Parts: sequence; structure tokens; C-alpha cells
Amino acid sequence: MTVEVTPQTFTFVSFDSAYILRIAQRLIGIFGLEDQNIRIDINETTPLGKMHVEFGDPIVINIQSGAFEDFSRPRQQSEPATTQSLGRILLKVSDRLSPEFADAPADEDLTLMQVAIWETYCVGRLSRHDIEINRQRWLYNFRNRHGFNDASDRAFEKIWNSDKLTWDQLQSISDTAVALAQ
Amino acid sequence: MADSKKPRAPFAPWDRRELPGLFSVEESARRVGAYKWCELKLFEALGGWIATVPELDVKMRLGAHCYKHAWHAELWHKRLPELREMNPDRLTVAPNEHMVRFIEALTEPEAPELTIEKLVGVYRVFIPHFISAYTFHLNNTSDITDAPTMRSLRFVLQDEFEDWRDGEMLIQSLIETPSEVDRATNHQASLEKILLAAGGITGSGTIGFNTPEHEGALI
Amino acid sequence: MRKFLPVEDLARDERFNQITMNDRMADQRTAITTDSRPSRAANRIVPSRADASDAARGLMHGIFVGEIQALEGAGRTCWDFTTGSEAPFELKLDMARQCWDEARHVEISCKLSDWMGSEIGEYAENTVLFQAACSNDPVLRLAGVNRALEGLAIDVFTTMKEFGEVAGDQYLEFAEDWMLADEVTHVKMGSDWLRKITENDPERRKKALDFQSVVDKLFSYGGTRSESQESPIGLARRFRELAGFDDQEIDVIADLSLAALEERKAAVLEAQAALN
Ligand SMILES: [Fe+2]
Ligand SMILES: [Fe+2]
Repeated sequence: MTVEVTPQTFTFVSFDSAYILRIAQRLIGIFGLEDQNIRIDINETTPLGKMHVEFGDPIVINIQSGAFEDFSRPRQQSEPATTQSLGRILLKVSDRLSPEFADAPADEDLTLMQVAIWETYCVGRLSRHDIEINRQRWLYNFRNRHGFNDASDRAFEKIWNSDKLTWDQLQSISDTAVALAQ
Repeated sequence: MADSKKPRAPFAPWDRRELPGLFSVEESARRVGAYKWCELKLFEALGGWIATVPELDVKMRLGAHCYKHAWHAELWHKRLPELREMNPDRLTVAPNEHMVRFIEALTEPEAPELTIEKLVGVYRVFIPHFISAYTFHLNNTSDITDAPTMRSLRFVLQDEFEDWRDGEMLIQSLIETPSEVDRATNHQASLEKILLAAGGITGSGTIGFNTPEHEGALI
Repeated sequence: MRKFLPVEDLARDERFNQITMNDRMADQRTAITTDSRPSRAANRIVPSRADASDAARGLMHGIFVGEIQALEGAGRTCWDFTTGSEAPFELKLDMARQCWDEARHVEISCKLSDWMGSEIGEYAENTVLFQAACSNDPVLRLAGVNRALEGLAIDVFTTMKEFGEVAGDQYLEFAEDWMLADEVTHVKMGSDWLRKITENDPERRKKALDFQSVVDKLFSYGGTRSESQESPIGLARRFRELAGFDDQEIDVIADLSLAALEERKAAVLEAQAALN
């Protein structure tokens, strides 16, 4: 199966598509996505860092350039940022392809809280694949969505440390945290 | 209830303050003017150095200390008219040319690699001299006539001790090799030699040695 | 130590990477959308934004380096001018006080960055703030730094305080409110000294106010701050009033900021048209 990165050369940013491809291939191997055709489209006209997936053949991952950028050196590529962003989105792809996530709403229907639980679930798993993750950054994001309280922190902890959750379980951890805080 | 008409001594038995003091009004004003000049020079230097030190913790400390010395300068500035000097600028002067030279030497280091020299000048030389000058003044002035100066001196000394400790700890944390020990001590020695010639913060007699007798002093 | 330190000589450890306004302008990408749909037009940093946490972290780092430069700028004003002949003693006392305040702001920013999961040097440091502190006239410096730069700080802290309030983040809200109190004082220092020193020198006052508007425009570059929801940072009218700005002055900044936003949008459209 194939993996492709577009564009091949960049105008607005100094990114290296071959480098991105190598990182993607490594992660695809780790997450067992080798049997999928995947295309990674990078939108270099915006410094924002949004990512979006269109399922089809190939699976198309749209990524805005900020997701791979070294913010201390604008327009330069960051290896950790590239790995983390690709890792997060590829784990999400892998979740979406599994029956345990069949009930997950479509991306455009996900609430900000649902986005936060899924992101936490992804980065928690990534951190156990020897990929450097700033845990506090994701805790802060989780708190912004679930509140700055103990129940929220316990939910974060639980999701962060889990490897095999279904969408329903994720949702229920989130619901419990919200109910406890009220 | 005590008898409200009963005479009481003006000084309670535990109040042992005494009238005599080493400094006349003029000498007190001269000293206070020198304090102000030195504190002014110090806070200016600390302010200037902030942008030149790369160490974040040092940068922030210098910012906090810059204000404290500015406040000391302000206290002395306000004290001068109370000591009959209606034009505070007249007495806001260096005690002698050696002190001017000392400030020049103190503020010479600029490069980002010279944080040790900057800190040594302030915390191992200048501030210890402030502490001794202020302590001498506090211990020798009239407990009664010069109480306002003493009150300021106590506040200021409290700051000086705290800042000295902050600075000394920063210096110890920055010195990592024997050659850096040498750098620190060499710089300290060269500055001390200039201060030796100056005689201290207020010139000759800053801490009582070689003190000329001041007209009007009551000892 | 020299008088007047050039911006390139600001001392930093290896974590920091400094960029200039030119570097920033060379980036042809833009976060400001030219899409006219209302849902896309909201760039204001608020918790309801999808990328709220990261946007807040980025802004917080900007505040952090801004505080360092404000600290350095106030310190340099203590050093660069001769007391009495070039800058009044009392003005220097105010600048020393500002040093202490800005040093605390750096400390607060470091704690908040930890809280939000950012690292020192994670984002580039734009040195444009210190550049405004490089004028060789202390009055211009106060106009550029205390009135324009610190005025922007009021806008930024108000935006961040509201962010904390809405998100239920008391740690952030508490800290921003304290910094806001200090910044209002700093702007007031600028306004008071400008008035006092140029009382009998209308030409110097005009020069200072002109310089302030140049700096205001520079900080409004790209429409980063304006009353439009399209700008990431709002214009804090109430706190600006407390700091001594009158209605007319605030209106001028509001218009100028909005013009900068429109200018940037037009430039983006032009760049995109050239591409297609
Ligand atoms: Fe500040
Ligand atoms: Fe400020």
C-alpha cells in the first residue's frame, strides 16, 4: 500500500516532504496502518495547525503548516512537531477504522469536549511509543474543556494512561467528570 | 486605673536612648547626600545591566534590586531638605574623585559573558560597603535628634542584607571553575583598591577610622 | 557599559530565538482568514475557539518575552540618560519601579507558561517591543513604550483575563488581573510624564505623540489587536480609560487598528490572487 506527501516542494515554508514521508512511514508501521493507501496534503498557506481526515481510497489527511512548524523558527520544520502531529492524526485514523469507534460522531459533529478526550487518548498512547510529549500542555487543553477541578484531572489521568478504550468508554469518562464537577 | 495626673518620667525606664551623636546636622546631610549619589549610581547601573545579562534569574533579580536602590535614593533625597539642604542636588555628589572612578570601574563590564564581574562589583564590593557605612551611621548618630535617618537606615539595611544574600547566592551558583573563582576575586580586588582610596561610601571616615572631627558634633 | 544598547545586543540564553518585524513580514502565510462567513471570522482568543489552548499558549509566550523586553527597556531608561539634565530624577524612580514590576511579570509569565504546558523559547521572540524603547529622547521612549506598548499590554491582559474567566481557570484569571493593575499604572506614568515634560514644548509633545502612533500602528500590524472579533486581541476601553487615555485617543487607536486589519486582509487577498 502507498503513502504520499504533497506538495513535493514548498514555497511558503521550508519543509522537506521526503522527511515528512519517512516520519509518516515509521508511524504507520507502529500503528499497523500499512494496509491503507494514505495521502498527506499539507496546506502551506496558513500558519494554523488544523488537521482533517477524508476517508476514501486513499485516505487523505489535510494538515495546515503550523502543525509541523518550529514556532521558535517560523516557517522551519520541527521534527518533534511533525512526529507528534502525524502521530495524533494517524492514531485517530486507526481508531476510526476500528469497530470500537464506530459510534464516534463525524469530525464536524464532534464537540470541543469530545475533541479534547480523543486528543488526550491519542497523545497518551503516543507518549508510550518513545515520542516526546509535553503532558502539561494536554492537561491544560483537557482542563479548558472539562474544567479546572479534581474530577477533570482524574478523567485526564485515566484517559492518558489507557491503551484500549472504546469511544463509548471515552465518552463515559468525560461525562462522569462533568457530572462530578457540578 | 492609673492616676491620670500622676507625673511620669519623659523616658520610660526601658528607654535607654541617649542624646549625644557623632554627626552634626551638616555632616549628617553630607553623608546622606553621598548615600543618595551612590544609591542613584547603583540603581542606574543595575537597570542598564538587565538587558546585558543572559541569565534569566539574574535578569529578574537585577530588576527587583534596581527598584530597591531607587527607593533608597528617594528616601535620602527626601531627607536632605529636613537636614537644612533645600537644594538636594547640591549634596547629591560623590564624596571624592576616587568614588567617581569606582563607579566607572564598577559599570565597565557589559558583555554577556561578564555576569560574574557585574555581580561581584555590586554584591561583593559595593553592597558590603553600603552595609558598613549605614551600620556605622546607625550606631553612632543621636538616638533622639536623628531618629528619622535611623528609621530609614533600618529599612534600607534590611534591603541591603537581603540583596547581598541574593547576589552572593547568584555569584556562588555562577562560579563553576577555579578560573572563575580567580575572575571573581581579581575583579573584587581591583574594585576594592579603588574604594580603599575613596575611603568608603562617604569618603574618608565612612566607618569611623580617620574621621575628622565635625564641628558641632556632640560626643 | 555603553549608553543605548542596540536591539541585536539583548542578552539571551540559547533557548531563545529572536526575530525582527521584517522576518515576520516575510512570512506570507496568514492566520487571518479572508473568508467572509461569520463563523470563520472570529479569530479572537477565546475558549470557544477550536485551537484555544494552543492559541493561549502562544499568546502567553508572547507576553513572557514582551515582559522581558519591557523590563530591559525600563532598565535602560535608568541608565541611558543623565539624571537631571536629560531625565528627571523622579522619572528614573518611576522607571526603576517599573523594572521591579516587569521583573514580577516575567516571573508570573514563567509560572503561567508552566501551567499551560509551554516551554521557554518554544516560540520565537519578536524584538519589536524593545525597538520602541531605543529612542534617544526619554519622552519619546515613554510615549512609545509606556503609552503604546503598555497600552497593548492592557489589551492583551484583558483578553487573557477574560479567557481565564470564561474557561474557569482561576489561576490564569488571578495572575492576569494583577498584571493588568500594574500595566494601568505604567501607562499612567507615561501619560503623566509626557504631559509634565512637554508642558511648555508643544513641538516635543507632538513628536512624542507621533512616535506613539507609529508604535501603535506597528503593534497593530496585521490586525492582531482591534475591536473586531477578527483580531486575536481586543481593545480594552475601560482599562485604557483608567490608565489616562481619553475617549478620543482610544477612538484613534481603534480606527488605526481596524485599518491595519483591513490592510492586512487586502494584502492577503492580493498575495492569494497572485498565486492563482
Ligand atoms: Fe509588564
Ligand atoms: Fe508594564
